[in-house]
Amino acid sequence: MSALTPTRTPAHRPPASPDSPAPVRRVRRGALRSERRGVRISAWAAVVVCGGFALLPVYWLLATSLTPREQVFAYPPRLFPATPTLDAFAALAGNEQLFVYLRNSLLVSVLTAVLSVLVSAYMGYSFSKFRYRGRRSLMYFVLASQMFPQALLLVTLYSLFSAYGLLNTYTALVLSFTTFTLPLCVWMLKGFFDTIPDELIEAARVDGASRLRIIHAIVLPLSAPGLIAAGLFAFVRGWNDFIFALTLAGPEKQTLPPGLVNTFVGEASTAWPELMAASLVVSLPVAIAFIALQKYLVGGLTAGAVKG
Amino acid sequence: MPAYPALDTTTLSRRRLLQLLGLGAGTLTLAACVPEAGPAAPQAASTAAAGARTDFSFASWSLTEETAAPAIRELLGQYADANDVKVREVSYPYNEYISQLTLQVKGGQVTGAVHVDVAWLGSLAALGKLQDLGPLAQGADYTQAGLTAAQFDGVQYGLPWNIGAIGLIANSGLLEQAGIGEAPATIDEFEAALKDLKKLGGGVVPYAASTKAAQLKDVLIWMETFGSPLLDGGKVTIGDDASVEAVTWYKSLYDQGLIAADVDRFDARSLFAQGRAAIYDDAIVGRDAVVSDSPDKKLADKLTAWSRPVLAAGDTPRALVWGGALAVVQGDGAETAADFAKWMTSDVEVAKQYFAARGLPPATESALALPEVADDAFGAQFAERITATATTNPFWVYPQYAQIETVIAEQVQAVLVGSAEPKAAMEKAGAAAQKLVD
Amino acid sequence: MSASQFETLQHTNSHSPPRRLTDGQFALLLLLPGGALLLGVVLYPLVAALVTAFFEQSLVVPGRTFVGLANIVDVLTGDFPRLLGQTLVFTVGTTVFPFVIGFALALALNTRIRGAKVLRGLMLIPWLVPGVVVSFLWMWIFNANYGVLNALLETLGLIDGPVAWLAQPGTAMTAVVVAKTWQSFPWMMVMLLAGLQTVPRELHEAAEMDGAGTVRRFFSITLPQVKGIVGLVLLLELIWNFQHFDIIYVLTGGGPAGATQTFATAVYETAFHGFDLGRAGALGLLWMVLLMGLVVVYIRFSEKGEGK
Repeated sequence: MSALTPTRTPAHRPPASPDSPAPVRRVRRGALRSERRGVRISAWAAVVVCGGFALLPVYWLLATSLTPREQVFAYPPRLFPATPTLDAFAALAGNEQLFVYLRNSLLVSVLTAVLSVLVSAYMGYSFSKFRYRGRRSLMYFVLASQMFPQALLLVTLYSLFSAYGLLNTYTALVLSFTTFTLPLCVWMLKGFFDTIPDELIEAARVDGASRLRIIHAIVLPLSAPGLIAAGLFAFVRGWNDFIFALTLAGPEKQTLPPGLVNTFVGEASTAWPELMAASLVVSLPVAIAFIALQKYLVGGLTAGAVKG
Repeated sequence: MPAYPALDTTTLSRRRLLQLLGLGAGTLTLAACVPEAGPAAPQAASTAAAGARTDFSFASWSLTEETAAPAIRELLGQYADANDVKVREVSYPYNEYISQLTLQVKGGQVTGAVHVDVAWLGSLAALGKLQDLGPLAQGADYTQAGLTAAQFDGVQYGLPWNIGAIGLIANSGLLEQAGIGEAPATIDEFEAALKDLKKLGGGVVPYAASTKAAQLKDVLIWMETFGSPLLDGGKVTIGDDASVEAVTWYKSLYDQGLIAADVDRFDARSLFAQGRAAIYDDAIVGRDAVVSDSPDKKLADKLTAWSRPVLAAGDTPRALVWGGALAVVQGDGAETAADFAKWMTSDVEVAKQYFAARGLPPATESALALPEVADDAFGAQFAERITATATTNPFWVYPQYAQIETVIAEQVQAVLVGSAEPKAAMEKAGAAAQKLVD
Repeated sequence: MSASQFETLQHTNSHSPPRRLTDGQFALLLLLPGGALLLGVVLYPLVAALVTAFFEQSLVVPGRTFVGLANIVDVLTGDFPRLLGQTLVFTVGTTVFPFVIGFALALALNTRIRGAKVLRGLMLIPWLVPGVVVSFLWMWIFNANYGVLNALLETLGLIDGPVAWLAQPGTAMTAVVVAKTWQSFPWMMVMLLAGLQTVPRELHEAAEMDGAGTVRRFFSITLPQVKGIVGLVLLLELIWNFQHFDIIYVLTGGGPAGATQTFATAVYETAFHGFDLGRAGALGLLWMVLLMGLVVVYIRFSEKGEGK
């Protein structure tokens, strides 16, 4: 069985590793002679302007969440709260409903990620390693399916799920989210599978491995970075979704985005610190996961495009 | 919990208050015209929920509002403990509530007790899933006004919980500063008062009228004040001179900065609580929210209810009936839910406790007779000046009421932001509403 | 499972695959889960929703009547031109602005400026924030009565009194585009940066020796090298923004007076608040026709490009 062990022959290089965002040669980071003052100054100017645009709102989110309720309506607002307080966060901790939303969000997003990776891996592998009639058209259809307006699909999906008793279930959410992540995930994973040499698969086949076993024992482990990227993408799709969760999940199965809207929107005119605190808390887990794993995602997304 | 001290200006006797609420009943007449597509004959709820108590769900927008939710949860808990059942809470914010609830009830995901704005009874009843609570209502001393408001098409679909009206609430502190003594009687005097308030400066919005689409329905009462019947024997009259005049006037207030952009009921409450708005439209339910959120600890004493100004001196001031009722959706737990609804709306102890927490006028004679209710001077003032002449909105009888309101609101908003002329916009709104009515 | 059965399975697994599917059959089998999802969640709902365009049908009242083209005529003579214009303004705005900002930042961060890595991580934050949170944050910033933007502009003397940004048609659309731009530029930046890092530095060095200036090198070396990824991010953004929903819905609800309504929010409102499925279907049908038109144009365009 030794031939089945994934070996990294020089001919096969994983498409992306944590060190190289894209399957390309790592470029030497020496300064060009001409990267002189002019370039540096304009680079800094761009960073300062765009950075301000990116980060000032984040600062305001944080500052508001630390402002006591009575002070939040002062006008003009203070750029830094006079007496910063964690009251808003404490109020969140006492809000059981938010924890229900959080649990729902985590559950739905994780299930979506797992299912999506599995389904798109099979599909991507089929597109990558087999040749059959209609393959190209199917690939285009899968890609094109993300153009179809989801708000419109929702109209029928609502009635469809209702007819099958799937309204207000996690199943309805997970099935929909998984489907909408397919185009990008299939496409990303196909890109990864393309880089796995056919000889490797052929060798395993000669050794008598079944086709499914080849996928599970060889192809998938070799494509781990791609799987992470696809899974991350799918997770975020589930985590951020608003319209489907709002419509298909009832009060008990509601995820965080519609949950936040339901909790705060009528009250938004008063509960700004709490709303900002909740927003912060909701954004954190994904932000941390992403910053830790961003290389994979970028690698996965650019794999196809950079080659092409 | 906020306390509501008596106003020293007006002290009404308990008797007088009851009389006034009775007066309100006289004007609570639903338009005779009822759309053809009536709801299926509802199944009568059993008067005595004899069987064992079961778990049920309770839907209310108030559960999303932090000033209201604790008091309601407390009562839910009491009922649940006493009957050894679990109550599942369902909540959506007010602005989303009716469309979400419709979908949930239609899909069978929500059964049991549902809190409804009396304006929505027609829409919900059209789904054919509401129980007739008529037999259940017997034996409780609901006010006639309350019972009428919670009926649709002659059927008692709801048990009245808190029936009142929407009217003008003013901050007497700001009024004094602006030198406004008496409540303006006519629209011209009202506008003059707003101009005086504007002079206060400091970013004070004289009248935090609704300008966001969500509550632009408030403009309908002004149309009625200007003399438009809104609906005349199945014909929508929006687009007539009076309605155009009303919207033109609204727009002129907007242009003069006498009302502010981007305001719905919640924004108005927040502005009012902060002392940044002098007058706004609300039901008595808003008192709780503005008082508890205000940095002004004396705001409760400064609340004044105003009769809506009239076009010509001597006209009857207009006000819109507004209230909450509890309806029961057929299905799991409906029997216990019906029992709960009756308990919640008619038990005197409950009324006492709920009034202490929120200051909302109860809907039974015995609860109205409670000393604390009768001594609530602002409540009495509100009843005398606003609820007394309140009428229902003629569009309520249509199941498409929410959509009718939306098409009108959108056109009024187009006028406010300057993308349409009042005349053309109101004719368009009238035509769109007519289509929904037919 | 008995031990002997287990052995048999083991046996067949490692030596002779249990069923002799042809490769083609196996490839199709792999497509099955994904295909089923696409069929059930995308294709069927799409067709069914489009069919309702020809009926008068309510979401809550059973039954429907055939009305031919009435709904379509109604939409075409009503909202359609305005919705089309607004959707295009939103789509183009939220594609172009993030692209410009993202590209500028990618170029800046690709030079050797100090702290580029940390900066890149920080700039990612807006992208990691769920759409509803983006809306809440900008709703607060743009708030007419207590908003920090009004306060800043007043302090700078740029405006006289508070501006109700979200309550005027022009500024509301701008606000929505700004909020969406804030959310999407980091992803553009990351993708473009990955693309830029694949440009071999040797090329730049060689060109510089030949005396090419910064600007010239940008157009003759950088741009052609990143063309693929630029095309990809623009295309994806266009597709996504064309049907974007969350930020508009939560920030302005399509208002004021429908000035920020796009196809996505209009279809949702019509179906789930107006309960008018026929009209929603008609809107969707026209939306699809439009998309098809754009796709044809795109294919023509890219074929022409390849032909050269």
